[in-house]
Amino acid sequence: MSEVVKEKITAVDTVTCTIDGQQITVPRGTSVFDAAGQIGIVIPAFCNHAKLKPVGACRMCYVEIEKMPKLQVSCATMATDGMVVSTNSQQVREGRKAVIEFTLINHPLDCPTCDKGGECDLQDLTFDHGYDDSRFGFDKMRFIEEEKRDTFDDLKIGPEIVLNRNRCILCYKCVRANKEAFGEYDIGAFERGDLTEINATPGGEVSNPFSGNLVEICPVGALTNSDWRYKIRVWLTKTVPSICNFSGSGTNITFYKEDHKNFVYRVTSRCNDAIDDGWLSDITRYGYQIVNSESRLKTPLIKKGGKQVKASWDEALAVIKKHMGQIKDQSGGVCIGGLISPSLDNASLYSFSKLFRTVFKSNNIDFRGDYRYLPSVTDSLFTIAASQPFSISDIEKSDVIITFGTDLIREHHNEYLKIRRAVNFYNSTVYSVNPYAVKTADIAKSEMVYSPGTDELVINGICLVAIEKKLVNSSAAAKLKSKISKLSPGVLAKLTGLSKEQFEELAEAISSAKKVTFIVGEIVARSLDRDKICAALSNLNKLFGVQDKGQLAVLSRYANSKGAQKLGLSATPYEIVKDELKKIWGEYPDCQPRNTDAMINLMKKEEIKGFITVGANPMRLYPDRSFASEGLEHVDFLVACDMFETETTELADVVLPLCSWAEYDGDYINLEGKVQTGKQAIKPKYESKAAFEIMELIARQLGAKLFENEQVKNEEIEKLLKLDSVLPWPDDFLKIEYEKKSSQDGYPVPLFICDDPHHSGHLTEKSPSLLNFSDSAYVELSKGLAAKIGVADGDPLRVESPVGKIVVPAKISPVLNSDVAIIPRNFSSTQTTSLLMRKKRVDSVKLTRVEE
Amino acid sequence: MKEILTALGRIFIRMPIGMLVVLKHLFKKPVTLDYPRKKKPMAPRFMGRQYLERYDDGSERCVSCGLCAAACPADCIYMEPAENEKGERYAKVFEINLLRCIFCGFCEEACPEEAIFMGHHYEFSADNRDSFIWTKEDMLVKHPRKDNPFKTLFRRVRKVYGVGEKKG
Amino acid sequence: MILSEKTVKKIREKASKYPKRKGAILPSLTLAYKQLGYVDNEIYIEISEVINVPQLEIAEAASFYTMFPKKPRGKYLLQVCNNISCALLGADAMVDRLEEKLAIKRGETTDDGLFTLISVECLGSCCTAPMIQINDDFHENLTREKLDKLLESLKNGK
Repeated sequence: MSEVVKEKITAVDTVTCTIDGQQITVPRGTSVFDAAGQIGIVIPAFCNHAKLKPVGACRMCYVEIEKMPKLQVSCATMATDGMVVSTNSQQVREGRKAVIEFTLINHPLDCPTCDKGGECDLQDLTFDHGYDDSRFGFDKMRFIEEEKRDTFDDLKIGPEIVLNRNRCILCYKCVRANKEAFGEYDIGAFERGDLTEINATPGGEVSNPFSGNLVEICPVGALTNSDWRYKIRVWLTKTVPSICNFSGSGTNITFYKEDHKNFVYRVTSRCNDAIDDGWLSDITRYGYQIVNSESRLKTPLIKKGGKQVKASWDEALAVIKKHMGQIKDQSGGVCIGGLISPSLDNASLYSFSKLFRTVFKSNNIDFRGDYRYLPSVTDSLFTIAASQPFSISDIEKSDVIITFGTDLIREHHNEYLKIRRAVNFYNSTVYSVNPYAVKTADIAKSEMVYSPGTDELVINGICLVAIEKKLVNSSAAAKLKSKISKLSPGVLAKLTGLSKEQFEELAEAISSAKKVTFIVGEIVARSLDRDKICAALSNLNKLFGVQDKGQLAVLSRYANSKGAQKLGLSATPYEIVKDELKKIWGEYPDCQPRNTDAMINLMKKEEIKGFITVGANPMRLYPDRSFASEGLEHVDFLVACDMFETETTELADVVLPLCSWAEYDGDYINLEGKVQTGKQAIKPKYESKAAFEIMELIARQLGAKLFENEQVKNEEIEKLLKLDSVLPWPDDFLKIEYEKKSSQDGYPVPLFICDDPHHSGHLTEKSPSLLNFSDSAYVELSKGLAAKIGVADGDPLRVESPVGKIVVPAKISPVLNSDVAIIPRNFSSTQTTSLLMRKKRVDSVKLTRVEE
Repeated sequence: MKEILTALGRIFIRMPIGMLVVLKHLFKKPVTLDYPRKKKPMAPRFMGRQYLERYDDGSERCVSCGLCAAACPADCIYMEPAENEKGERYAKVFEINLLRCIFCGFCEEACPEEAIFMGHHYEFSADNRDSFIWTKEDMLVKHPRKDNPFKTLFRRVRKVYGVGEKKG
Repeated sequence: MILSEKTVKKIREKASKYPKRKGAILPSLTLAYKQLGYVDNEIYIEISEVINVPQLEIAEAASFYTMFPKKPRGKYLLQVCNNISCALLGADAMVDRLEEKLAIKRGETTDDGLFTLISVECLGSCCTAPMIQINDDFHENLTREKLDKLLESLKNGK
């Protein structure tokens, strides 16, 4: 609460009060609890959470305030002028003692079996403030399920969450967090009095993408998760600060590891107010399990006679030396290409770039393996849009937030929560503008669903309406008017499926806002015409001056996408990066740069003979499976480095086991451009090596040396990171032509391939906990579409596109309301990308029921 | 002359006294034991090798809470908890390295479940280090078993202080 | 739909009067209860669809109030006060008597669907304790004989 008020109220409106003899001046509306916290006085509490509104449920934070007859709960009492508070008087101590005693009336003393033992707030506060013994002799209240009477009190209320209602002290933190912070309604408090219980919605389960947080904030062991359940005691583990590897925002996490077993036991949040609010998505929380997975690649594999056999590193490197050397000598380094995952750290990315550009002298590298048909030019409008500055903490400060072409709950969990917070705590207004209805809509002032493939027309519509309504500078308006198509707002409205009023609403919102955040996401980034959309965005930015009073950016999706851009990992790096690289290396290959798409094309023509993938899985993620597989099968010599056996490693001649991000120190640049370090938690498992080590080894095999030592490497990276990597938008307004793409006959339903809310990329399917949430592909439909086809939830459905066909179960979405199909790409069991065509703006499919 | 007198004194006075002591002990009960065949009864609070108790129905008392391991000054207890089919916590692995154990009895003190006790067993010499690592199977008392006098003692203690009884 | 069209229409009408949708939860539950005599999870879902409030919020509110039973109750709802005054003056004996007479336990309904017996907290009639509320009427200063007579008359349909 305090923060809310802090932002809203000017510094003039402050109050001065005295806490334990110390004077403190705080903004009006700050609670006594927070005011005390600011001068380092810790008041014990169970139910207070810095990121939630106060509720005063636990009564533990009693303080004595002069002129108030009774003890007051400090979390819900606002500081006022001249207030004299004492937090440790005799009366307060007795009050706390009594509260603890009452709390323990029905709290079972099963600490030995309780998972929270050792990090339990109730344990700690009882030690500090409670009595040694209880004066209540009667039996404790015990919740037991009727059918489980003789077994156990624990209740599984979600795929990962175990509830023990006896231990619950009713602080309502879980319920409040779920409703206030996550906007999910699947856990609640039922009944009343001493029968009050926390439970899942009747007939439902707690399976929202943030459910893990409920376990973390529970002050007692009432909510535990099966991930950590009965594995180890918390005092036996050590903590290591690290960074989430699955999200673009670089959420801060803490690894709990054990050295002797070389095992990571869990991940918890490490609240960094500038990035996250201490909330983690389940992907972050349970995704770490891939580090411990038994199915990881243990040794290098070499293909011998069509079969991959285990080999030592020396053997594998010798094979690489032989073949890569051969290709390099006979056909030249330009015949070697590489694709790296943008989730790897700076050192790995830079080593990869250096290996290709100085050893192979080739420009065939890329890090974007899951975008269709990327343009290979540097200053493409998309690259410009992606390089724009963005600040996560500014989301809260914006009064208007527009999410355009992004399904945040599937792409950027952290930003999704930030937006919710902005709405609930800072009264921001959200407009959700997407080709299909998304979850963000429930907090949006209005949700606008445009027809897929008309993204740039929506932006044009907003601009045109703004010009018409004279909401913007007239000279700019005149300039723009001559550039964008002659379609009138009415026609645009018809084409996009939105109404003119909706355009007006958006235009007015942007022009009247004091601070705007305009978030553009993956739906735009994955679109074939992303440059066109970005041109429209450039116009919009210029017309409204969005960036002068806020921010507009395409958010980068992966843990280090921004780093990859900054270090020049695309085939055509930024000019300044290129110049710097030339300076550092003293050379830079002048051969033609080729991105993923061009490389796969050249593989087919057998012009690219050697290919190295590091952590990337183009076979699964490249949006045209048949194209990718044809290309990779034609490669003479394919080296694949990954943590697991994937579709790509299956084709490889040499497979090298790669370290996970928990196994080495690495720097990652999040979507804001902030460099954060993930520390090494455990030693590399099995024989895996970090990507930068592998690059160095390959270089040494080929008689070169990437770096003399670690220091040199860090210095070189440092030099590159210093460069300003924000590209300027074009000076002029841009012309945008709209050509109507005829939809394929017989394939009426637009298809979107994206991540499952519980998965990210191709690795998380190895995490058992995440599989409990969602373990196979499905096709998500609106209720109306399902009724039209005649399928119920879970019925198998044949999904046919002009190029592929899969059969997956239908899933009826509570959110979708138009005719679109959404299929997750995270599961190896379904070849989702085989439905896609790489040169198509909107993929469309035909859905038919599978007759039994 | 003096030397001769002392020598004579030794032979005729001191030596018979010494012989007398020997003679006396010949008819006394010996203080030593015929050890491997006969064993000395231990004091009730002797702290020998630990053992793990069971409930009357045969289930293990130990829930692997880790407090004994935390209390152990020699860090000789290793355990791994797990969940059984009923959803209860139990010790999947429970090992004590007796080469490290200093038999201080802190584990017994710390145990909230009355599961681990210092026993009276002290014969565990071996010729390799591995056999000094006692596992849960080695330490758990047999079930069903003959009545253990110490168990009744502990029960009495429990009765007096009213702690540790299994709840119905 | 279990709710009748009339009830749904009434709920819609009520809901439109509230500035926030959440405000309509209790009136909707009351309307549903009036129609059916109980509200259970299926009704929560139906109401949530009508007034567009998460099912959870409705379930939470409904479970908080004892006046929204989850199962249909008998024709006569016998609510015995067992708060302090009544308890001191023999409310427990009254409950026991009723249990014996009706052959049911607290919270249960007789097989013929005539009586439901529950014990409740203070009904605000302490000066005339012990007392029982049958549907909407108070019956005060109870004794065993009075209670027996009361039951007889109810059974005879008066």
